[in-house]
Amino acid sequence: MSTSDTEASDTAAPDQSVAARRPSAWRAVLGTPGTLTAAGVIVVIVLIALLAPIVWPNADTINAGARLESPSGAHWFGTDELGRDLLARMAHATQLTLLIALGAMALSVVLGVVWGMVAAAFGSWVEEILMRTADAIMAVPMILFALVFVAALGSNPIVLIVILGIIKSPLVARVTRSSTMVELTSDYVRGLTVVGLGRSRILFREVLPNVFPVIAAVATLNIASAIMVEASLSFIGLGVQPPLASLGTLLKIGYSHLPGSWWYALFPALAITVIIAAFNVIGKRLERYLDRRSA
Amino acid sequence: MLSYLLKRVGSSLVMLVIISILIFVALRMLPGDPTTVALAQGDGVTEDAIANMRAELGLDKPVLVQYWQWVSGFISGDFGYSYFSKYAVSELIGQRLPATISLTVAALVLAIVIAVIAAVVPVLLRSKWLERIVNLCTAAGMAAPVFVIGILLVLFFANLLGWLPSGGYVSFERNPAKAIRYLVLPALTLSLAIAPQLIRYLQGSIDEVRWASFVRTARGKGIGWRRTVSGHVLPNALLPALTSLGITVGSLLGGSVVVEAVFAWPGIGQLVIDAVNKRDYAVIQTVVLLAAAVFVVVTLIVDLLYGILDPRLRVAPSRRAAAAPKPQSPELTADGLLPTEERADV
Repeated sequence: MSTSDTEASDTAAPDQSVAARRPSAWRAVLGTPGTLTAAGVIVVIVLIALLAPIVWPNADTINAGARLESPSGAHWFGTDELGRDLLARMAHATQLTLLIALGAMALSVVLGVVWGMVAAAFGSWVEEILMRTADAIMAVPMILFALVFVAALGSNPIVLIVILGIIKSPLVARVTRSSTMVELTSDYVRGLTVVGLGRSRILFREVLPNVFPVIAAVATLNIASAIMVEASLSFIGLGVQPPLASLGTLLKIGYSHLPGSWWYALFPALAITVIIAAFNVIGKRLERYLDRRSA
Repeated sequence: MLSYLLKRVGSSLVMLVIISILIFVALRMLPGDPTTVALAQGDGVTEDAIANMRAELGLDKPVLVQYWQWVSGFISGDFGYSYFSKYAVSELIGQRLPATISLTVAALVLAIVIAVIAAVVPVLLRSKWLERIVNLCTAAGMAAPVFVIGILLVLFFANLLGWLPSGGYVSFERNPAKAIRYLVLPALTLSLAIAPQLIRYLQGSIDEVRWASFVRTARGKGIGWRRTVSGHVLPNALLPALTSLGITVGSLLGGSVVVEAVFAWPGIGQLVIDAVNKRDYAVIQTVVLLAAAVFVVVTLIVDLLYGILDPRLRVAPSRRAAAAPKPQSPELTADGLLPTEERADV
């Protein structure tokens, strides 16, 4: 008897402390040195991307006398094959990289939320078809699937956003569906149904805000993954095409100058890795925090 | 068991059908047509020329007929002909297959060796420090795209030290010693790209049995830690890790496309990139569907194998969660797939 009592109070206690901790979700997510660093990195990168046109307005100025110079006081990251400052070019490229990744993330969330909610709400064969399709898309290696679309549509930045958004949406659909299904069995949804609210109103006005944190975690991871796939596509020459340049494009060109000009490949490569790592760290932390909260 | 088998085979087939439809819809329904690329070079392309080419390639037939021809051909092993080189697609793939297979098999073996060492040694030595270093490397490896790993290796081993060639391919028949020299960096790159997820998976399943009561019993009987690990922990931990093999193969297929581009490795990946540039739909649709089929079949085999080796899994997935102990980390999602972070992206 006494053991079952302590067990009961043990399981009740975390609930209360979680409820008490809830206001400081920011602290829970950003409270470790790792996530704080990652958040700092993201802020710096976004600032660089935003300020690129102001700080480096002459990134495209060709300087034939300064071709492929190694890093120096004047050019921290060296220069490219046309004598342009690599740091300036990378700042502008970061802008495009982030723009494509954020666009893809936004599209994947919109598509995925509708996809998952419709599946959860309709059930039966609609759900079966929708979720099997999601599984199918996830079964093809992402880069190959992206290549199918690149073959059909080409690869300007807008098209890349659409392609990456489509490829990343099944993941959002999957978590949306499973969290929505949990919500749909809860008392407040049953109450609202009894009151006579329409199904789409319940789904998008009442349920969506409750599943949103879970979606936010996946969305953050989708940014990282979109950057990865876009950079891969650009690196193999089927993503962002010159004269436009993402970090992947710079890396591709830099790699072709590798034997002599190590900096041209190294710095874009490191930049891509750091950006992906930062978004990954935040996304994973968010996911773990939400897991613990729901457990 | 039979109903489980039929169910799994059936759902795999459904998945492949959906994939084939998606590929086909993307290539045929969306704007863009291979004839425009093929005929773009010559001036004064007549409507007749385009119509002729479309008829020759079978693009003038109804879409459903085209789909049926493709899929029925695919099943019987007839992949059709390239739109441009006029070779059979199967012949093109056959030419490139040895390079890709040697790369992916070498990478898989290397990755498994790396992963087992990285996951087991810290446990064997009970070293928190080693574990931390492994975890840091794993996190870095997960964030680093394949081509970044490749470029760093090229910078170090080819440019700085000059030990290995930075790219190229020599077949084993021609010169085995040279072939291996050319294979080392690409295979190492690909293996380092997929090793982190293998390490995570292994760590998770080791962690799960490490504190199990039978391990405590073994220790209590006076068996040394190393013998406990090799005799009790590993045999029980390696089996659950087997399920990650399907995902690993998927990452291998995607990763090889990029690795081949980094090292000018004349495999299937280069074939696809070339085909995308030329809009050679016949090649693209076949290679992508083949890759998906390999992934689905490997997943299926692993599942069935696992079902044979672990009877608890022969029930429906919904009951599976209750019957089998839930892996600690990485946790499986409700659908039995790895959570987002554990799936390598490329």
